Amino acid sequence: MIRPLLLCLVVLCAVLRAQPATALDRDAVVASACGPATAAAEAGRMIIDGVAQASADDLVWARQLIASALDRSLACPGGAAPLLSLRNRAAFETIAAELTLLAAPDPTARAGALKSLGRRPELVPAGVLDRAAAQEQDTALKAALAEFAALADLGSPDLARRGRAVARVADTPSTRAATQLAALTNDPAYRADAGFRATVDDAITRVGRGLMIGRVLATLYNGASFASILFMSAVGLAVIFGLMGVINLAQGEFIMIGAYGTWLVQQGLHAAAPGLAVWYLPIAVIPVFLATAGIGVLLEVGLVRHLYRRPLMSLLATWAVSLFLVNLVRVVFGTQNLQFDTPFYVQGGIAVIGDFIITWNRLFAIGFAALSLAGTWALLRHTPFGLSVRATTQNREMAACIGIATRQVDMLAFGLGSGLAGLAGLALSPLYNVNPQMGTNFVVDSFMVVVLGGVAALEGTVLAALGIGQLNVLVEPFYGAVAAKVIVLLLTIMFLQWRPEGLFALQGRRR
Amino acid sequence: MIAIDVAGLNVRFGAFRAITDLSLTIDYGEVHAIIGPNGAGKTTLLDVISGLTRPVSGRVTLDGARELTRLSDTAIARAGVRRKFQKPSVFMALSVGENLEIGGLGDASLIDETARLIGLADQLQRPAGTLSHGQKQWLEIGMVLAARPRVLMLDEPVAGLTDGETDLTAELIATLRGPDRAIVVVEHDMDFVERIADRVTVLHEGRTLFEGAMADARQDRQVIDVYLGR
Amino acid sequence: MTRLFAAVVAVLAAVAALIAVAPELLSPYLVNSAGQLAAFALLAVSLDLIWGYAGILSLGHGLYFAIGGYVVAMHLLKHGLAVTGRVPDFMQFMGWSEFPFYWAGFESFPYAAGLTVVLTLAMSGLFGFVSFRSRVGGVYFSIITQALVYVAMLLMFRNDTGFGGNNGMTGFSVIFGRDMADPFVSRMLAIGSIVILIAALLLCRRLVTSRVGRLVVACRDDEARLRSLGYGTLRLKLGIWCLSAVLAAVAGFLYVPQVGIINPRLLSPDVSLEIAVWVAIGGRGALSGAVIGAILVNGVKFWLSARAPELWPFILSGLVVLVVMAFPNGLLDLGRLRPRALKFLRPARGT
Repeated sequence: MIRPLLLCLVVLCAVLRAQPATALDRDAVVASACGPATAAAEAGRMIIDGVAQASADDLVWARQLIASALDRSLACPGGAAPLLSLRNRAAFETIAAELTLLAAPDPTARAGALKSLGRRPELVPAGVLDRAAAQEQDTALKAALAEFAALADLGSPDLARRGRAVARVADTPSTRAATQLAALTNDPAYRADAGFRATVDDAITRVGRGLMIGRVLATLYNGASFASILFMSAVGLAVIFGLMGVINLAQGEFIMIGAYGTWLVQQGLHAAAPGLAVWYLPIAVIPVFLATAGIGVLLEVGLVRHLYRRPLMSLLATWAVSLFLVNLVRVVFGTQNLQFDTPFYVQGGIAVIGDFIITWNRLFAIGFAALSLAGTWALLRHTPFGLSVRATTQNREMAACIGIATRQVDMLAFGLGSGLAGLAGLALSPLYNVNPQMGTNFVVDSFMVVVLGGVAALEGTVLAALGIGQLNVLVEPFYGAVAAKVIVLLLTIMFLQWRPEGLFALQGRRR
Repeated sequence: MIAIDVAGLNVRFGAFRAITDLSLTIDYGEVHAIIGPNGAGKTTLLDVISGLTRPVSGRVTLDGARELTRLSDTAIARAGVRRKFQKPSVFMALSVGENLEIGGLGDASLIDETARLIGLADQLQRPAGTLSHGQKQWLEIGMVLAARPRVLMLDEPVAGLTDGETDLTAELIATLRGPDRAIVVVEHDMDFVERIADRVTVLHEGRTLFEGAMADARQDRQVIDVYLGR
Repeated sequence: MTRLFAAVVAVLAAVAALIAVAPELLSPYLVNSAGQLAAFALLAVSLDLIWGYAGILSLGHGLYFAIGGYVVAMHLLKHGLAVTGRVPDFMQFMGWSEFPFYWAGFESFPYAAGLTVVLTLAMSGLFGFVSFRSRVGGVYFSIITQALVYVAMLLMFRNDTGFGGNNGMTGFSVIFGRDMADPFVSRMLAIGSIVILIAALLLCRRLVTSRVGRLVVACRDDEARLRSLGYGTLRLKLGIWCLSAVLAAVAGFLYVPQVGIINPRLLSPDVSLEIAVWVAIGGRGALSGAVIGAILVNGVKFWLSARAPELWPFILSGLVVLVVMAFPNGLLDLGRLRPRALKFLRPARGT
């Protein structure tokens, strides 16, 4: 009972105190602002010094005044607005940003102002920050303000306060924190005070470590998301290759069709059920899988089935299909990149450490691949269909003899592989460009996954996809995407010297 | 005299032990049959001798001097250890004569004689792909024979042949026998084995179960239990 | 078979003679097309040698074709610079005033020709050795060759490599000191291409009918059998592979001066696959089939590219499916269809 009452009282007091405190002498400010350079600088100081006590009304007014002074539309008693000196202009711009932070109604404007102030946090007076922190409602901005205040404290004359700020900055490692801390090593206090120096050095190490961890995690994360797409595309290739000895050169086009199917679902929802349009990604899963699997089954029945004793010819035939599909899509949809909505669930992410952010779009792809892996694994290991696939892979004649309908197994496996590639297209649509040629970007890497991983076990495909995905992402920042592909290829060829049948080979007598 | 000496051989495919501590010798002048149920390791043994499979441990020596497990399949063939595969493998697109020429490592002088030996002397121009199954088996034996090997290994030479063809094959093997040649035959046809073999080794689950004359093998309790049946 | 081969050689020789003797009968466009087709035919022959006879399908023969093409382009640019003082476009584009060091010596034609062979042998030899040694074959080999040509394309697309980047090289003005716009030069190029094609055909013919040729076929049909007869198949495959690569490089060397441009799109996997399509359509395992396939398919492509280029991919994919499904030996099957059709007719006539 007592506490809410007390709280009300405190709030009331604050309001009462704020209301009458018209600390800003508007006439004096205008007079100074219209005066010569030294006086104009004084006007700026008056506003800033008064910020802590000024009413909300005053802040709005002051913001307008500074804005007009900056664009020379200030109406002075003498008539013409004075020309700001370069130094005053810089000071006024800072003040304008500070006032925007305090008085702008739009949170994005306030965020923008905070960002522009971020370049020189030590110039922002503590009063401005305290007031901004007290009145800010937006959660994201509040957090940013707290971090900013910590940075600002780094420039504080009070060494103890500075030391605390240093430690606080080091708690959230970022590239900016590293720069700020590095700047402190040039500070006189760093040289003079051993304790402060130790604090700063320790903080620099911690931030450095954090950044390093962040970089490593970010690389692993990006690699994992690329590997996810590769896995989904390669697992179908591997199963089909193991089963029929056929490599489907149109696999990349199944990815492309999957992405286009996703786009069609999105457009269809916009037209038919705009309320659901934001959920187009999960809604598209089943139609995209069925459509690509269906096309895969058609391809198997119409073409590949007749060629599995002539695997080299099947390369040609599936290439012809890929050529046909690419050009068909080009004619129907055009060559430009498709525009996808980015629903909230694949937007943004959570910052973890350093510059590492778990972005939802990549997590979506990874999660998707993990589900596909689990599904495929369960299907191959724990269903009669999976048993038939494994049996036929190991010995087709024997499987046929014991009554497995090998033709049907081929057909379904081809459908499964194509469907998974289609889902890869769905999973990558929030990440990569979608156009008729997109298949080529993935297909060569997918082939290398099959070559590396072998066809005997799903584990091989998973490991190879992870390896090749990671390698691409690892090499790319240093030597470029092309070098990454070159290295992947060379390593694959070298690996084959050591294990010609891939990571996991079927064990047994050859021949 | 010992042609091939296999000692302490172990072969594994993953967790599966295809051959365990196998030791046996193959002598010049003999026809040595290797028999046993499916999966006993017969073909794997031939694979090791001909260099297609590398053992985990153990040695295979030729003439007591050359260690074969370190040589390539090509080098082993060049050393005079040659083999006919289980599945008849002749070069379908080439003629009988060309097949024999390749078998003889380019030495054309032996083609006619070899062709006579395998009964295909009048078929030299015929594409090998058009031969009957039995003729293909003989052609393959002929190809292996064309370079006059010292060790001749025949993997199921009469599988799928008619009785008449089997008889002819038995006669062929009898004429191939010589003091400078060791012949190894892997076969399931027991009567055929009894007709041609001087000695049999019965393999079971990668180990030697019995070694001796075929007639004795037929009496052996263990051999009957695991292989021949009652 | 042999008659067909003789007929193909005779027709080629006749075309070369016609260009030499009565050039006024043919338009410059036709002469140029004939020369380009001859280069393509040579490329097809090179692939047929390795695919049709050795059973090894390369989906990256564009790589060797491009080696020849790039080397000759570099020679022509350097030669042009020496004669006319014209600086290559890509140098101006990159703002370079000097050639990278590896452009040294390209003024010399013998150097360029020799380098084509050496470079091709080095590339194909190294790749062939590591692949064949580890017994990589069949579909694996095909997709690795495809990956190789794809990676080469990505490399050449980079502008900083000193090979013209994505614009490639063009603006060849002089060859052997003569103006390339001169119709005489274009006739000589066409005749030279056809003559080299004929020479390559005769050479390959000799090879495939020799004992080595029989070994190559034997290796295609059953490599393990051949090895167990005591043949080192590595050397055999490597030899035919390298020969095939060199022929492809020679084809590129002949092609680029006639088409007047080279860019990395020549290294696109689709281009390399198309070579296999020519061979498949013409008939695998017959040298004359490869020539016929390359000339027919490219003839149609040239003709269509002036009228309805957007139709070409659809026609090509349709052709491939048709050949693969109905005529596994390509047009050679059509030749064999005739007697069967006649057999059908004979009983109807009551004989």
